[in-house]
Amino acid sequence: MEIGPIWRAMLRNKTSYLLIALQIAFTMAIMVNAIAIIQERSRMMARPSGVDEDNIFYLSSIGFAPDFNPRAAIEQDLDALRKFPGVANAIVTNTVPLQGGGWSQGLRREPGDDKENIGVAVYFVDEQGIDTFGVNLTGGRNFTPTEILWFDSEGGGPRWPDKTILTQAMAEALFPESPQDVVGKTVYIENDLPVTVIGIIERMQAAWKSWSKVENAMLVPMKRLESAVRYVIRTQPGYRDEVMPQVEKMLAESNTGRIIRSMKTMTETRQRSYLEDSAMIKLLIFVVSILTAITGLGIVGLASFSVARRSKQIGTRRALGATRTAILRYFMLENFIISSVGVIAGAIIAVGLNIWMVQAFDLTPIAWYVIPLAMLVLWLVGQLAVFGPAHRATMVSPAVATRAV
Amino acid sequence: MLSMKNVSKIYRTESIETHALREFSFSVNEGDFISVTGPSGSGKTTFLNIAGLLEEFSNGVYELDGQNVTNLSDAQRSRLRNEKIGFIFQSFNLIPELDVFDNVDVPLRYRGFKAAERRKRIERVIDMIGLGSRAHHLPSQLSGGQQQRVAIARALAGEPRFLLADEPTGNLDSQMAESVMQLLEEINRAGTTIIMVTHEKNLAKRARRNIFMHDGRVGSNEPGLHLAAASA
Repeated sequence: MEIGPIWRAMLRNKTSYLLIALQIAFTMAIMVNAIAIIQERSRMMARPSGVDEDNIFYLSSIGFAPDFNPRAAIEQDLDALRKFPGVANAIVTNTVPLQGGGWSQGLRREPGDDKENIGVAVYFVDEQGIDTFGVNLTGGRNFTPTEILWFDSEGGGPRWPDKTILTQAMAEALFPESPQDVVGKTVYIENDLPVTVIGIIERMQAAWKSWSKVENAMLVPMKRLESAVRYVIRTQPGYRDEVMPQVEKMLAESNTGRIIRSMKTMTETRQRSYLEDSAMIKLLIFVVSILTAITGLGIVGLASFSVARRSKQIGTRRALGATRTAILRYFMLENFIISSVGVIAGAIIAVGLNIWMVQAFDLTPIAWYVIPLAMLVLWLVGQLAVFGPAHRATMVSPAVATRAV
Repeated sequence: MLSMKNVSKIYRTESIETHALREFSFSVNEGDFISVTGPSGSGKTTFLNIAGLLEEFSNGVYELDGQNVTNLSDAQRSRLRNEKIGFIFQSFNLIPELDVFDNVDVPLRYRGFKAAERRKRIERVIDMIGLGSRAHHLPSQLSGGQQQRVAIARALAGEPRFLLADEPTGNLDSQMAESVMQLLEEINRAGTTIIMVTHEKNLAKRARRNIFMHDGRVGSNEPGLHLAAASA
């Protein structure tokens, strides 16, 4: 191997090699951190919401007629929806996971303003809520029909029912020492109202995908008497798209004192919710690809120039006994050394940049394997880029050595 | 040790055929010192390139050290060049980024010698040319004569059967040329066969034999050239 002489020769003519090594280093640093961001966004997008996304859709019913009776409309609509062919179940609720808007409250283990308050997303449901959302009840029990309260924001009534079902994540946040033993315990809402935990569901995300406590949610056995309500409908598997227009038509025709609007599937909601993240991933992939391609072209340019500039030297090496393979190996090795300097410097810059980004933007640190993976990619890009010029170098005739150039 | 029989070299373009060598026959014995002279375009460099396996020829038979080289592969020719032939070029052809030591090392690495063997050989030939103290100088830090000495050291390090020198003093002043010529004579006296292409009659006549080339063929001795060996 000619590493020693190549390295010494490069040190004596280092500017162009250093520029390419720097380009590789910055490409590596950007590539690694872009991958870290892509991984984080991908992880976020891949989180399950906990509900049966494939078969759920939802719509809004907005009563406008002067004689519109919200309670009668809700009872009539739910009855019709639950009997509708292809519909598995339906509820009236305030929001759905990832929708972007919803309610939140704070729960405490003990009453009092000075006690720790843990944020939680609130879903108002009836006894069909668990089945309609398709969430998995892992402990305790579901609500009974008699436990469901009607809440009239204008007519008074209880502010909060005295029972709730929590997600596993919320149970762990409230009782980290005994998360498996939360059923039956009392927690406090709005500082001092006691609520008994009667069940635990495996997972149900909040409406805000970027919220750090997105897995904290509670089901509240309550139906709110309002003119504008949201129905969540779960269809039999595979019937969603067929059922949606029929349900919309049925509801619109069943009560002309209201309008039906904003009908969306959970699939659409997920896509819309993660639109920016998805765009960011595509943009970063594009930027990293372009940057890698530019680095590759830089290597092609440097190697081509180097071959053209050193044709006499290549001819001399051939005359002195270098085979074509030896010439190819020389240029590939030279590039490998440049790339190695670049990727090692790049790894150091990448880690530094990542430490800063973790502190400044609360990102997850780079996974350990990303750096060797990026090094491997850039080594490979370098070797592929230099292969063409190196192959051209092998075509230089040894007779060039005797020409007066 | 080197024999060419009816060797021809034709350069072809779409419209022109140029006969650089025509039915060229020539042989070299062990220990010879041969000067090759002739006017520009007479085929001297083509002859040197073919003799040094730098170029292929069109017709004829060429045997090097008893081996017919006509149908050798590129890799076989490279190996043969490396093992049996040392080259000395008019413009030295040292690699500018490598110091004296690394320049001399180039053909030895292609030969596959171990590091210790290479070091021994390099130190021996550098001492022989009187540049032992400048082993880590770059070519640009040496005079023309010193650079040509390094090129000679590079050619000798692999202990080749013969040296091919292409105008070895062409880029040197007369004092340096004399010093290089003396070194070549010394190397020849030590047993290495030398074929030297030159324009300079006073250098050519110091060889034991002269080949005067004209129009791709071997002519008679160069007019006015009286070889030292012949006249002795």
